[in-house]
Amino acid sequence: MSKIVLKNVYKHFDKKVTAVSDFNLSVEDGEFIVLVGPSGCGKSTVLRMIAGLEEISSGEFYIDGKLMNDIPPKNRDIAMVFQNYALYPHMTVFDNMAFGLKIRKFKKDEIKKRVEEAAELLGLEELLHRKPKALSGGQRQRVALGRSIVRDAKLFLMDEPLSNLDAKLRFQMRAEIAKLHQRLKTTSIYVTHDQTEAMTMASRIIIMKDGVIQQIGAPKDVYDNPENTFVGGFIGSPSMNFFDGRIVDGQFVVEDVRINVPEEKMEYLREQGFVGKELTMGIRPEHIHLLRGGEEAGQTNSILSKIIVSELTGAHTLLYSMLGTQEMIAEVESRTNVSPGEDVYLTFDMNCVHFFDKEAGIRIRPEKSEVLVG
Amino acid sequence: MRKKLNYKRMEGLQGYVFILPWIVGFIAFTAGPLIFSFAASFTNYNITSQMDFVGFDNYENLFTADNLFWTSLYNTLYYVLFSIPLTTAGAIFLSALLNQDVPGIRFFRTIYYLPAVLSGVGVYLLWMQLLDPGTGLVNTALGWFGIPGPNWLFDPDWTKPALIFMKLWSVGGGMLLYLASMQGVSKSLYEAAKIDGASSWQQFRFITIPMITPVIFFDIVTSLIGGFQIFQEAYVMSNGEGGPVNSMLFYNLYMWKKAFESFDMGYAMAMSWILFIIVFIITIINLKLAPRWVHYEGEER
Amino acid sequence: MEEVEVAAKKRDEERVASAHAYFDNIHTKRKLLSLVNFILLAAGSLLILSPIWWMISTSLKSMAEVMTYPPTFYPREWNWDNYIKTWKAAPFDTYAINTITITMLVVIGSVLVNSFIAYGFAKVPFKGRGILFAIVLSTMMIPGFVTLIPQYVLFSKLQWINTYFPLVVPAFFGSAFFIFLLRQFYMTIPNELIEAAKIEGASHFRIWWTIGLPLTKPALATVAIFSFNGAWNDFLGPLLYLNDESLYTLQLGLQVFKGEMNTQWNYLMAGSLLVLLPVIILFFFFQKYFIQGINLQSGGK
Repeated sequence: MSKIVLKNVYKHFDKKVTAVSDFNLSVEDGEFIVLVGPSGCGKSTVLRMIAGLEEISSGEFYIDGKLMNDIPPKNRDIAMVFQNYALYPHMTVFDNMAFGLKIRKFKKDEIKKRVEEAAELLGLEELLHRKPKALSGGQRQRVALGRSIVRDAKLFLMDEPLSNLDAKLRFQMRAEIAKLHQRLKTTSIYVTHDQTEAMTMASRIIIMKDGVIQQIGAPKDVYDNPENTFVGGFIGSPSMNFFDGRIVDGQFVVEDVRINVPEEKMEYLREQGFVGKELTMGIRPEHIHLLRGGEEAGQTNSILSKIIVSELTGAHTLLYSMLGTQEMIAEVESRTNVSPGEDVYLTFDMNCVHFFDKEAGIRIRPEKSEVLVG
Repeated sequence: MRKKLNYKRMEGLQGYVFILPWIVGFIAFTAGPLIFSFAASFTNYNITSQMDFVGFDNYENLFTADNLFWTSLYNTLYYVLFSIPLTTAGAIFLSALLNQDVPGIRFFRTIYYLPAVLSGVGVYLLWMQLLDPGTGLVNTALGWFGIPGPNWLFDPDWTKPALIFMKLWSVGGGMLLYLASMQGVSKSLYEAAKIDGASSWQQFRFITIPMITPVIFFDIVTSLIGGFQIFQEAYVMSNGEGGPVNSMLFYNLYMWKKAFESFDMGYAMAMSWILFIIVFIITIINLKLAPRWVHYEGEER
Repeated sequence: MEEVEVAAKKRDEERVASAHAYFDNIHTKRKLLSLVNFILLAAGSLLILSPIWWMISTSLKSMAEVMTYPPTFYPREWNWDNYIKTWKAAPFDTYAINTITITMLVVIGSVLVNSFIAYGFAKVPFKGRGILFAIVLSTMMIPGFVTLIPQYVLFSKLQWINTYFPLVVPAFFGSAFFIFLLRQFYMTIPNELIEAAKIEGASHFRIWWTIGLPLTKPALATVAIFSFNGAWNDFLGPLLYLNDESLYTLQLGLQVFKGEMNTQWNYLMAGSLLVLLPVIILFFFFQKYFIQGINLQSGGK
């Protein structure tokens, strides 16, 4: 059982730079939390504060109700996997995995038992006598995981553990870590800049930017209902399209293009007084469809676009074009043959769009929100 | 708010434990002695009986009444002025030769480096024999070319050149320093230069040299500090006298005689401070001039 | 039509041929340069090695042969017993034991203490670390003689004159150069390694012992060799602090021997060679670590 709480945590460097501000999080036992964000967003700093490698400037951090701020790393009962694995180059795989146990004065046969168990779990039995130098990247990664597993720690921390691997191995290890978590159920906090990793592994994602939490939620939640334009743009690949415009006569007007807005969306936009104001509309590329043939071309909400680039990714084709002066990407079926320079009709699935307050970048919710009207 | 003794502060304390030996050593063997020596340079201290304040007398006597002080300063400057440009240029030249793809290059590097690790009385004895006017190798070899060799260590005009000659034998030490940095220069720079039409010499002049200027700078600064402290070879080769005709009486040798032969400790310490100031000023000048010619790669460090 | 094709083909051929000529030219040029280089280096090596050969050759000659003119390059007869006579002419075994004792103590102290201090400067964050390290570096600029005289005063007040304490004790309080060298090396060890060990529950002292020491072995070997060389070749320290001949080191003994032998070059060269031999052997076996020390130095600037 381990429950983690961070309350109003701040990190300042040299009293000038604020790397993390007002970080609040409570993690339930067995959760797999992924901290994601662009580099420099403070996600690693949060992890290092949890590990005790960085001091918490202000705020509180609890593990199972015990205040941890002033507890040195070794007494926090945590295990950590580093980006470059941090394997001790002069020790064998066995000694690397046994090191923490030796320091904690475990009995020899207990150490052996635990290391062998972990080795079996990770398929490292044959490599126990080797030194890290003689291992491949994926094997090193496994040793680093094994070193953490043997400790049977309360909390499992991972700092970009896959970013030194090539694409194929990364994919494989991602699944392996997920499997491992399902089996061991250790509360884990995982840091990455890769939104795919976050989406596929997390039970909850925390998206950070400039030291501030942007949104916390389950992967699906975060994908379907981004709190703001940053989250919308960061999660999902290719990125969400954003168009600046305003509501006029029940239509969203982007430069000289007019798009009908469904009545239910109009309702709350009207209620909250956004009609006529500067707005940003966000739509994911898979919600832009290609219209086939002349009979469909005439229908409402069809937009004539000149395709600039057409990219086949395998299952889909990405069509790059412009909406007025703003870039637009549509993700359509891969079998549609559209060549660059061709004029096609595209249509938006307006039930799936989000409207954001242009200035604040915050999503306008259906229910009336006090804060937004303010 | 009172600061708690948290683990970060505990870690800081551990840091001081780690460097404690150095702190103690610094106070006992460097800072303490420096302060004592500075204070004592204004006294007539003789280690046993007297330590009276004499104001600037020591310094005044050095500059106005002590011919040997000037002689020793001249000898030292002579040595520094000739040995440093020669060894620096020699080392760069040698490292350029040894930076080529020639069969047996590792063997050559070893040979050229060997003399640099040899030092002490054995080497000085060897050179006394090599430079012996009658039975030595140097004059014998000069004789093959019909050059009458000088009397080296017995001729006051030739003692310092003899020491510089000996110094050049161990030029391999500096060579390795330069070689290491030459090998760090990216191959692509030379390839780009070749495409731009640079000749081998131009590549050396406009790529190699600028890229190794940080090491040249480092070498010059440290050899200047070292050069001013020449002592052992002069002591051994002149039997601690500095002869003939005081031609090997270098600054430190003179200071040694004042301190440990006539026990004019106060006087000797005043001398040591003058040397310290000279070395300090030269180093500062070097540091000030450095930005004009030393090329630093990016902001990596 | 055909004429045009033929002309084009001919042009192509010419182009290919001239390209071949260009590369052929480069190859010959490169080979020639490499040959010139090789000859230059080989001649230079002979020059560099000739003093050492001269030392060996002289050490084997009879005194009569040493005095013949012109000197001989090979000994006419190889008097190996010169070495036995030399060794017996002075208490060289005592000198050797003394030197080995001092050297071993200095090497042990230098390796352990400097590694400890350097770990603190490299891997333990504490207040004032940057400034203190800058002080460490700046002490390298202080001419040795400035602190030598007051240190002598200190050691004489401690009644340490005519003991090995002044030669050995300072080695246990760190040396700026070695601290710098080892810190450079520690900086190449990723901090994550230290952090991983911290999380696993190790204290800094434990990390230094179980991770720091084994991982810095190559740099420690460099420190061991440099400090061995320093202690083995130290002449000034023993000259200043040792009075009893029973305490003399090889360097000091050789200097005394030189006074006694006057110009008995064969014995003097035999003695010199015997004293230099351990350093030469060490150099050939551990050359890698000498070079590593130099690389760390040049990387640091």
